[in-house]
Amino acid sequence: MAAPVAKRIKTLSVSRPIVYGNTAKKMGDQKPPNAPVEHTHLWTIFVRAPQNEDVSYYIKQVVFKLHETYPNNTRVVNAPPFELTETGWGEFDVNIKINFADVANEKPLSLYHRLRLHPYDSPGNHITSGTDEKGDHIIKASFFDEIVFNEPNEQFFQVLMTKPGNLLPPNKSDQCVFSRQLEQEEIDRMDIALKDVDKQIYKLEQEINDKK
Amino acid sequence: MSSNDVFDVLNINKKSSTPVPAPSAGNLAGVAGSTNKPKPQVTGMQRELYSLLGENQPPVMVAQTSSRFKEKLAGKPSPWSKTDFFNARKDNPYKLTFQHWMKGSKELLGDEPQESTFLKFDQHFTLPTFTKEEYDEFMKPQNDSSSNTEENENRWSFEEVDYLMQLCKKYDLRWFVIEDRYNFGESVRSLEDLKEQFYEVCRRYFENKGPAMPLLKSLTFDKSKETDRKAYLQRLLSRSAAEIAEEEALIIESRKFEMAAKKTLNDRESLLRLLDSPNSNKSVVQYMTSQGMSLLYSNMLNDKSKKRKHEAGVPENPWMKQQQQFAQQKQQLQQLHEKKLTAEQGTDSGSEQSPRKTKRQKQELQNAIKRKSEAQYAEYLLQSFTMEERKNLGVIAHGEKLSPGVFLRSTKISTFKPALQNKVSSTMQELGLPLRPAMPSYDVVQKEEELLKAIVSLLELKKQLDKLEAEKAIRS
Repeated sequence: MAAPVAKRIKTLSVSRPIVYGNTAKKMGDQKPPNAPVEHTHLWTIFVRAPQNEDVSYYIKQVVFKLHETYPNNTRVVNAPPFELTETGWGEFDVNIKINFADVANEKPLSLYHRLRLHPYDSPGNHITSGTDEKGDHIIKASFFDEIVFNEPNEQFFQVLMTKPGNLLPPNKSDQCVFSRQLEQEEIDRMDIALKDVDKQIYKLEQEINDKK
Repeated sequence: MSSNDVFDVLNINKKSSTPVPAPSAGNLAGVAGSTNKPKPQVTGMQRELYSLLGENQPPVMVAQTSSRFKEKLAGKPSPWSKTDFFNARKDNPYKLTFQHWMKGSKELLGDEPQESTFLKFDQHFTLPTFTKEEYDEFMKPQNDSSSNTEENENRWSFEEVDYLMQLCKKYDLRWFVIEDRYNFGESVRSLEDLKEQFYEVCRRYFENKGPAMPLLKSLTFDKSKETDRKAYLQRLLSRSAAEIAEEEALIIESRKFEMAAKKTLNDRESLLRLLDSPNSNKSVVQYMTSQGMSLLYSNMLNDKSKKRKHEAGVPENPWMKQQQQFAQQKQQLQQLHEKKLTAEQGTDSGSEQSPRKTKRQKQELQNAIKRKSEAQYAEYLLQSFTMEERKNLGVIAHGEKLSPGVFLRSTKISTFKPALQNKVSSTMQELGLPLRPAMPSYDVVQKEEELLKAIVSLLELKKQLDKLEAEKAIRS
């Protein structure tokens, strides 16, 4: 069916927060029956809203493209939850392609996520390790981002306006670190850095003026 | 070949059948003012030339009448006569009489030998004269003088000073001659010695006579300075060719440095000017209204203190025009909005422009109007939501021209050229910040952009400072 020619609403954008990443845990003896012998980890890659809100009204489908060594390495998830569980032994980049609802008439959005199986931390990455309810060691690497629909068409705009999709929890919690609190912390940190930089700039300007 | 032949060739009928030289000669006579003297027959090349002139002769001829120079010569020569003259100075010891040629007859000038007319140039200095007593009197060292003994030792005898004064008088203070002729006993005096002594004696003489002499101060002679000057000149003039070449090369090098310094100074100033310009990371909200726009406009017009690239005159102000259009457009839009709430309005209604405007201006105007109406429409769609609700819905009317489509917020964080990016990254690390904010929400990304901008300016300044220091190191 041909998409109706919809008029875009200019100079307006709508954003939706998403969290993408993966969880992983080491497999013990109880391996899934079809898992290859060399696979050591069970991991799940996911795309969701920060608080697991419904995203199906704008995301139609998510396609995960795994490493070529996986059989059928292009995995399509057609309904929420948009996640995929697999076993493996290595870390690799997963291509995540998000297809939007038909009414949006938008091109798919492609992003990459480096699968994390080991609990080493690098700055900026939110890798946490903890234990799940069964007491198994579990690793979680998740990233926050915002999907921005710039100049959406009118129908899609109406759809987006039906739900307050940009809500964030006010405080950090174990379920979701991405919150207004974290956002404010980020801004505060940058403000401090900005002041620092401004001070340095002022000092340098003085020095340059002295040198002249 | 004559003009007749030319006319023949060109097939022109000649009106007069007289031979060619005749009219030209006649004409010549007419122009010359018809003196009664018969015109000399033109011959040779001149005749050929005249014959080519034909009938339409130029009215001005080179009148070769009798030369004025010869006319003058025709007058009577003025008489010159050889007369005696003498030097009329009273103290002239030689009563000699010389002769020279003077204009005028012998009768007019008379027989008496005359004073030389150049006498007025025979001027001499009046130098102070004094007796030995006077000299001892005024050369008596002052009591308060600190270098009494030394002065006494160095004092010249009266006889030698007298000799010096005589020489000065005789050679009219021509110091080189004086030095050359100076021959007083055993004493060997340099030119500077002589000068110093002369000025010293003169000064003391006049001081003794009366301290109110206005020119007393000029009677000083700095001997060491003078010897230094001469030594310096000596050195300057005795340089070898290689030394001169080296010096010139050095001068050229220094010129180069000066030029480079000037250039970097200019660069630096322009950079600082750039940094001084109003911070654009301030909110633009205050300029969103038409009032704010006119405020901004007038601010920018008045801001001539800083040199900007786009300073060159603003012949007509497009902003004001657009603003007027905006005002009209706003009214129209409001009416339209009441009738129907679609986005269709505003695009074509601005077509009643005056035909004077160029196509491009029109296009720009329409684009601006369109964007404005779009922004207004977007505002209209959102007006039912409060700011809080808008935030929850994640909807923003940014009012900018961005390409439509979907993207991730984090991809809009600025990146730089690799070299700069590395520096920016390390600066961010020093500040203890991750390269990618953990939560790239709208507010965070705005802040991040602000920070990145500041960091880039910081790096630029650092570069400038390094450059300055390097320059300084080279200079010193």
